[in-house]
Amino acid sequence: MTLYFVGLAALVAAGLSALLLRHRPALADRSYGLLAGAGCVLAALPAVRVLAGGPAVEGQLGSWAFGIDLLSSAFLLVVLIPGLASALYGARTPSAARMLFVIELAALALVVTARGVIPFLIAWEVMAVLAYFLVTFEHERAEVRRAGLVYLVATHTGTLALLAMFASWAGPSGSLGFDALAARAGTLPGGGAVVLCLALFGFGLKAGLVPLHFWLPDAHATAPSHVSALMSGVVIKMGIYGLFRVVSLLGVPPAWWGWLVLALGAVSAVLGVLWALAQHDLKRLLAYHSVENIGIILMGLGAGVLGISYRVPLVAILGFAGAVLHTLNHALFKSLLFLGAGATYHATGTRDLDRLGGLARRMPLTWITFLIASVAIVGLPPLNGFVSEWVVYRALVGGVTSAGPIRLSLVAVAALALVGGLALACFAKVCGIVFLGAPRSAEAAQGHEADAGMLAPMFGLAAACVLIGLAPALAVGPALAVGGSVARVAVDTAGSGIPEAVTRIGLLSLMLGALLALGSLAWGVLRRRRPTKQAETWGCGYALPTARMQYTASSFAAPLLAAYGPLSGVHETRSRTAFHSHAREIVLEGAILPVWAAVRGALWRLRPIQHGRLWVYLLYLIAVLLLLLLYLAGLVGGAPR
Amino acid sequence: MTAGPLLSLGAVLVLAPALPGVATKTKSLLTGRRGAPVLQLYWDLVRLLRKGAVYSTTTSWMFRLAPVAGAVTPLLAAILLPLDGRGAVLQFSGDFVAFAALLALGRFTLILAALDTGSSFEGMGASRDAAFASLVEPALFLCFVVLMLATGRLSLSGMLGAAPAPSLAMVAVSLFFVLLAEASRVPVDDPATHLELTMIHEVAVLDHSGPDLALLLYGAALRMALFAALPVSVLVSRAEWVAPLALAVLVAGMVLVAVAVGIIESSMARLRLSRVPQFLVAASVLASLGVILQLLT
Repeated sequence: MTLYFVGLAALVAAGLSALLLRHRPALADRSYGLLAGAGCVLAALPAVRVLAGGPAVEGQLGSWAFGIDLLSSAFLLVVLIPGLASALYGARTPSAARMLFVIELAALALVVTARGVIPFLIAWEVMAVLAYFLVTFEHERAEVRRAGLVYLVATHTGTLALLAMFASWAGPSGSLGFDALAARAGTLPGGGAVVLCLALFGFGLKAGLVPLHFWLPDAHATAPSHVSALMSGVVIKMGIYGLFRVVSLLGVPPAWWGWLVLALGAVSAVLGVLWALAQHDLKRLLAYHSVENIGIILMGLGAGVLGISYRVPLVAILGFAGAVLHTLNHALFKSLLFLGAGATYHATGTRDLDRLGGLARRMPLTWITFLIASVAIVGLPPLNGFVSEWVVYRALVGGVTSAGPIRLSLVAVAALALVGGLALACFAKVCGIVFLGAPRSAEAAQGHEADAGMLAPMFGLAAACVLIGLAPALAVGPALAVGGSVARVAVDTAGSGIPEAVTRIGLLSLMLGALLALGSLAWGVLRRRRPTKQAETWGCGYALPTARMQYTASSFAAPLLAAYGPLSGVHETRSRTAFHSHAREIVLEGAILPVWAAVRGALWRLRPIQHGRLWVYLLYLIAVLLLLLLYLAGLVGGAPR
Repeated sequence: MTAGPLLSLGAVLVLAPALPGVATKTKSLLTGRRGAPVLQLYWDLVRLLRKGAVYSTTTSWMFRLAPVAGAVTPLLAAILLPLDGRGAVLQFSGDFVAFAALLALGRFTLILAALDTGSSFEGMGASRDAAFASLVEPALFLCFVVLMLATGRLSLSGMLGAAPAPSLAMVAVSLFFVLLAEASRVPVDDPATHLELTMIHEVAVLDHSGPDLALLLYGAALRMALFAALPVSVLVSRAEWVAPLALAVLVAGMVLVAVAVGIIESSMARLRLSRVPQFLVAASVLASLGVILQLLT
């Protein structure tokens, strides 16, 4: 545990060094990189040891208890791996931004290791407020300020719900350690219904669960890219961690809550990817994909809860393991995607999909990492996304031989399949429109490759995606252990076919990789023996094709979105000469803002009271004082005691 | 492992290019024409392999990778199917997810290759392919759910071979719909159309030529063979039969499916593009009815 605290101290030191040495940039860069790297590695070491089968560790920071058990270890890796990559990617940002960033990392690490309500909530608030500063770092732009405000309101609403949750849980007992909460779990009325609903609201708001996701697209899209990577890859996962922690402390949640989480997960996943498809802005699109993946994670979590409630241990373990593994995988490939989006923005100055194109030629290395991340996020073999989605699928169908309602969870497979198909369409659109074809604007034509300082963290993340994909047993084993610890059952997967299946998935992925490589090689040789020539793309005889005649992102997504009607949120304006389509944020623009506008309109009637003239306010004061005096006189005179 | 699964796999790999030929021949005969020979695709493949290729100056390595992926992914998906009626070459619990994901990977690379050319025609085909595939996926998985509920087994080798039940008939019809979409046949797509604006799969591979086109054609034929084998395996449980008979029945069943595809092609027109989603949702609805039936029993 000392190692862990030293690591966090190194992270804070990295931030301070960036700020204090800002007049000596070379030295500041070096100390920032070294200290941040050392801090993340040191803090991750205990987590790796626990995941490898070591005992859980506990420690004190002052009077507050911290600990690293299996669940905390998994989430520590979720924080530290993408966190380090993003920190190094952002090594050129202003010193204040760097300081905030690494301290945010330390706060995130404290959130997942806190063992009491007070340290948890303090770390949670530090994390939320620092994230606000990071998101609004480019506050000169009005859209950034607006996104930051919405985020700040949303996150504090969530914190209020969490305060209420912990208060109702701890009751009058006053002991706020997680152990004490776990001991009280059995005495909660209704199996902890109040706690579970408040947790779902509070943590769901942080995780970006539909319909509580409304703050997320703006905040993630307008932040600097490495901050977006941290927000989308890591910060929203704290909501998932919270739900996991609540479930693990509560023991046996009621089945209805499992169904609720599963259903909300399915809705989030489908709507998230549908709304992502409608976006024209690269980073907004990626942000909506986080909503989708949170949905997939929640489907795993829901299946796990159902497994506990209906006493099917294998489903419980697989559900939780799938959720944890998908959390890690999503942290890896989503931060990679945001870093790649940042590189293209850096190179072209635009995030508008329909102004990009052909970047594969100008940014070949960024393109490879972006492609890897895309294949991974769609859940295709041979990469890590497929492995975790397989575990979630396996959990959903795991109840097939049990009698009783858990068999219904098989139907959720259809939602996951639909999400897979839509995600494929969406990332085919992103990759195809941004990187392939011909440049659609002058900015895109002048794009240039990112520098080594940006590419190195991206390749690190891509390597992690490939590694988990080709050697799934490496990741699934520890994930199953985490799942078992949350479900409180001994992991015994012998006879379930799980270890064999994971080995064979690895084999299949290796075969796929090998066949693709060999096939490409063989076909390369064959092509060399045949006469080949270069020509314009066949345009059915049209002689003067231009880049503007290519299919655009909007037209690519149009047939799909048309099938979903108003649900897709696409708002079209057309006149005789112009056509414009805009993707609305249905929940924010359709529900929350109108409601607030109505509230504001109603309160506007009170405006005449506020004159802004001093004598009116003095009059109010005197009037209130008089009223109070009269009240007191009445009280004294009317009711003598 | 015995040689049975490998032999059946080999037979399917060799016979796959005949299936589109059977469908086309049926269609020709029913519409009063002689039609191309059943084995035409084999000759086409040989001819294309000998030819040179033209590459667009816009394209990158993605365009050259897609044909390889288009052939490799159905090949790997094929080793997960119990083609001999007993067991697949590679089987594990939950392998149906890998089956679908491998085929999806092939589609993903194909769509990217189409967008790589920068042509609006190919973009159109790619967009439609992606849109319709996203609706096929739930239907396919719901069919698997029915099979899992019917057998209690979670691998393709276990779930294909259930005892006959009414829900399985629904699955077979739903899988046939899936085949029509996956193999780009009428009423979803028309392989014989000559107008780029109305094509889906054909226009997505418009720029591929020579050996690359040969690989893509072979991959598409193999894809069709796999989806033809699925309904046959659902309807006819061949686990108890001797290997040659099991294989012969599979091949005969696949030929029958191809004939059915030809009959549909000669008896109805292609659906309007905006109507295709309804057809695909119908496949999901059929499979859902199967799920309900299974849950009730």
